[in-house]
Amino acid sequence: MRLLLVEDNAELSKLLVKSLGASGFDADSVATAADALSVLGSTHYAAAILDLGLPDQDGLVVLRTLRARHNTLPVLILTARDGVNDRVTGLRAGADDYLVKPFAIEELVARLEALLRRPGQLLGRSLELGNLAFDTIGRQLFIGGRPQILSARELAVLEILLRRSGHVVSKRVVEDQIFGLSADVGSNAVEVYIHRLRKTLQDLGATAAIHTIRGVGYLITEA
Amino acid sequence: MFLFTSITRRIIFLHVVAISITSVFMPVALYVLLRSTAEDLQHRSLRENAELITRYMSQAPDGSITLNLPPDLDTLFSEAYGRYAYSVLDAADHTLFSSLHGRTPVFNTDARLAGPEYLESKRGDVTLSGASIPMKVGDRTVWVQVAQDMEHRDVLIDDIVREFFSRVGWITIPILLSLLIIDVSIFRRALSPLFKASEMAEKIGPERTDVRLPVEAMPSEIKPLVHTINQALERLERGFLVQRDFTADAAHELRTPLSILQARVDTIPDKELARELSRDIARMKRIVSQLLDIAELEAFTVAPHEVADLRSICVEVAEFVAPLAVRDGKNILLEAPEMPVPVNGNSEVIFRAVRNVAENALKHTPAGTTVTISVQDKGTVSVEDCGPGIALSERAQIFQRFWRKNRSGSTGAGLGLSIVKRIMEAHRGGITISNLRPAGCVFTLNFEANLCPPFTGMVRNETLGHPLLMAAAKDCSVNRGDRA
Repeated sequence: MRLLLVEDNAELSKLLVKSLGASGFDADSVATAADALSVLGSTHYAAAILDLGLPDQDGLVVLRTLRARHNTLPVLILTARDGVNDRVTGLRAGADDYLVKPFAIEELVARLEALLRRPGQLLGRSLELGNLAFDTIGRQLFIGGRPQILSARELAVLEILLRRSGHVVSKRVVEDQIFGLSADVGSNAVEVYIHRLRKTLQDLGATAAIHTIRGVGYLITEA
Repeated sequence: MFLFTSITRRIIFLHVVAISITSVFMPVALYVLLRSTAEDLQHRSLRENAELITRYMSQAPDGSITLNLPPDLDTLFSEAYGRYAYSVLDAADHTLFSSLHGRTPVFNTDARLAGPEYLESKRGDVTLSGASIPMKVGDRTVWVQVAQDMEHRDVLIDDIVREFFSRVGWITIPILLSLLIIDVSIFRRALSPLFKASEMAEKIGPERTDVRLPVEAMPSEIKPLVHTINQALERLERGFLVQRDFTADAAHELRTPLSILQARVDTIPDKELARELSRDIARMKRIVSQLLDIAELEAFTVAPHEVADLRSICVEVAEFVAPLAVRDGKNILLEAPEMPVPVNGNSEVIFRAVRNVAENALKHTPAGTTVTISVQDKGTVSVEDCGPGIALSERAQIFQRFWRKNRSGSTGAGLGLSIVKRIMEAHRGGITISNLRPAGCVFTLNFEANLCPPFTGMVRNETLGHPLLMAAAKDCSVNRGDRA
């Protein structure tokens, strides 16, 4: 899977390319906004990692130009600044995620995977966590490599949790996913489904756990 | 020395004093002037009378003097008419002529002065005012005495003098009063640039160092002062900026080398060592972020119409800290009303305050227990943990920069809560801390002063399908409920 890394610090760039390689991502690196725009115009990448502090232009210019070209490439912003309005500005300019320097490579990889797990992106076809693997095309769950049988609604809930693994999925989102907007949902219907799914996973020996964040939503992590 | 500190009051006070003194002395002075003018006029008329009489005197060849008054004058000076009298005396004090019977002099004076002498005498109940004036008739000098009955002297002047106060004097008071009012408004006008400058100067603080006082409209006497103040402000601002920029730049510049260090650590094959080093780097990263926060918040002010929804901020914070809590085997619980809780404030900054308090609570709550973030309609956010609580004696200290309870064991730099305090100050809000029994502590961030009127219209509730009931009893037991 090919990524574009736009980072002007040569040393950091070299180390990141190496680490990303170890995590299974092939990364090309460029050091200026101009190079980034020209490379992005000619080559197709799975995602871009964009440093905001570039020598020739602000990274946000690259991002805005990209979005003005209707390029929906997932973009993760790297920045050494995280002022009050920087995060909002970055996301408004069309960034998909935002990471403040310094960051652990694990965090970067996790964020990239989360971006790529989104529907329509490369990793979105197979969602993996612990010994869970969920094929979103065939709608089949594997635990420890063995296919398992779950109800369609359980699979739907598991899918959104896995797509946002490591992040809280709000209860409202889960509710909409299971019942759509039309049905009149009982007050504890979601809780019932989550409870059932949690029990199923436990019974099947999954090394992933669903946590309840009361008042907020649910979170799936590796157990 | 002055009763008043206000320059306007001081000027008005002194002005009132000056006007009161003027209002007493001016009529008196006018009266005196008027009187002396009246007297001058009286004297002149006496002299003219004397000259008139002298004109009709002539010296006979034998040296004797004769007086031939025309009949109308004779009548005027007659005793029967009674208003005027004359007598003419020579150097030997002989009365040569007199309008009075028995040739008596009008005034009995010994002196024969070289110049006119003004006299007054009483004759019966009549006061006579007159003069004795030396006159030349031929080669002899005679003293012509003329007198006027005071009761019947020139009426006009007399009246003016007598009635000066009752008729004219009072008008000086309203004139002076209106002068005072005009002067006050003149002062106010003249000083208005000063008032404006003081208003502007009031706004100057650590957050607004770019304010300068206007020099153009200033009175020239005050210009140098304003100029000096502006120069001082210039230096002050430069100092502030240098300090602010230094902290921001330093923090900024530390991030790239830290990133390189982190990336290098990630390539170490010894995973245990890499994890430990990463933990150290994470700690440094946090301190750097907090220093940046501090530098940024130093200059932060809430815009007057900025609105932040406490409810959605707390949802975000809960989502943000939940993965960390789960990682450490702790729980997060959010209790929020269904409707937004809008306050005047900056969402991103309030988010940092609530996040810092929540992270602090998560640090101190034991594994298996719950940190509860709750939002109240009245504009408060509370964060409750099950930790050991904070002793009364420590409550002031915990908000100081770099304060940590246990310096050796703690992981933070002791900046988080000082940032919270600064944020609350910027929002004119307060923080209260209370301990719970048997365990725990509640931090309450108070935005009540900033509460906005509720939104009108329907607002879709994004996160919470149903209102949550407050737990009746505090539950610090290990909790893994299904209810979200």
